[in-house]
Amino acid sequence: MAKSVSLGDLEQAIMDVLWAAEGGLTVREVLERLTGRDLAYTTVMTVLSRLEVKGVTTRERDGRAWRYHPAATRESLTAQAMRSPLHDLSSEDRQAAILHFLSEASVDDLDAVREAMAAVEARGDRPRRRRGRGAADSSA
Amino acid sequence: MIAVLLLLCAAALLIAPRALVRIERLRRSPRAALFVWQALSLSAVLCLLSAAPLALVHPHPQSTTLEVAILVVAGIASVGVLVRLLLNGHHVGRRIRTARAQHRQLVDIVGRHEGAHTRVLPSSELSAYCVPGAGSRLVITEAALTALPAEQLAAVVAHEEAHLRERHDLVLEFFTVLHTATPRWLRTDAALAEVALIVEVLADRAARRDVGEISLARAILSLAEATSEQGLTPGASAGAGSAATRIRLLATDDPAPWQTLVLYLVCAAALMTPPTLAVLMGS
Repeated sequence: MAKSVSLGDLEQAIMDVLWAAEGGLTVREVLERLTGRDLAYTTVMTVLSRLEVKGVTTRERDGRAWRYHPAATRESLTAQAMRSPLHDLSSEDRQAAILHFLSEASVDDLDAVREAMAAVEARGDRPRRRRGRGAADSSA
Repeated sequence: MIAVLLLLCAAALLIAPRALVRIERLRRSPRAALFVWQALSLSAVLCLLSAAPLALVHPHPQSTTLEVAILVVAGIASVGVLVRLLLNGHHVGRRIRTARAQHRQLVDIVGRHEGAHTRVLPSSELSAYCVPGAGSRLVITEAALTALPAEQLAAVVAHEEAHLRERHDLVLEFFTVLHTATPRWLRTDAALAEVALIVEVLADRAARRDVGEISLARAILSLAEATSEQGLTPGASAGAGSAATRIRLLATDDPAPWQTLVLYLVCAAALMTPPTLAVLMGS
């Protein structure tokens, strides 16, 4: 339960260590750099192989140990998340999968948007009567 | 007879979205409007599904050839709709959930963890969205965090939290399944875009309650300006022009209670139609 949450945090911490390092790191080296966490060697090993299954790390033989590398830079992974998170999906599916505050498709005429904004500013915030449901503490 | 009526009824309900997208007043009572959309769709599906079983139970009293013809048409309608909906629901659901899971993984790894479900992406683009479903995530970029003033940020978060809390994704998924299960020549993309817009308006209502319309409208404007500056490829028809539409809706008054009441009566009438037809004609 709580473990699965911290597992996500741990994956992220390990990727941070890998991204900060020059060249690859062994499990032992990753463990040493994860300061402030009381972790078992096997835990780090498990997480590293999970990350490899997910395709975000690669590994190569170095003597008797495995050396882990990030499969991509943080920037390119971020770009991947931003640009084409759902590139396999049709536009209909995409709309339902992730809800954007403002989807790219919905901005075609900035003048119209600014004009609408001016109308809102002109009217100003209006106090609203709230139906008595839930925490009603922010009404004007 | 009953089967013919049900099929006619379904045809009418399938044409209804073309009229419904033209009634812009509906956007002013988003919750009731969504119920109308759902009630009409459900009713159409119910009419189609019950056509064949009812034709079997109450055969046509006249000629046998007509009887058989009606039975065949009703059978094709009922079985076809059932199969298409089940298959399509399965495929759409699986695609959406897989994509969400992959995306969650990605933002968990590149994003800064802010609490249990908020992730801050180290990106210079202004963007904010949520990944709904089990293990939902609220994703916002570093650039949006720095660029947006506190009250606009609060507006964005309130909007996304409303999506997650009220499970708007389920509504969208329902319509996506219906939309893609409908034969191409029968469906209209404008209907799906309208429902998507109404869902956004619904989340805007929640955010407006928290932060007021000016902060929310400014947040929409900020994101719109940033999006066009970033030169992101504008998408096809999905929700086109909804930034201006959403801000305009913030300036309009809430509809009179009678309008909302009428919408709920329409819902009730739509849902009552298939069972009423079945009972009246069958007896």
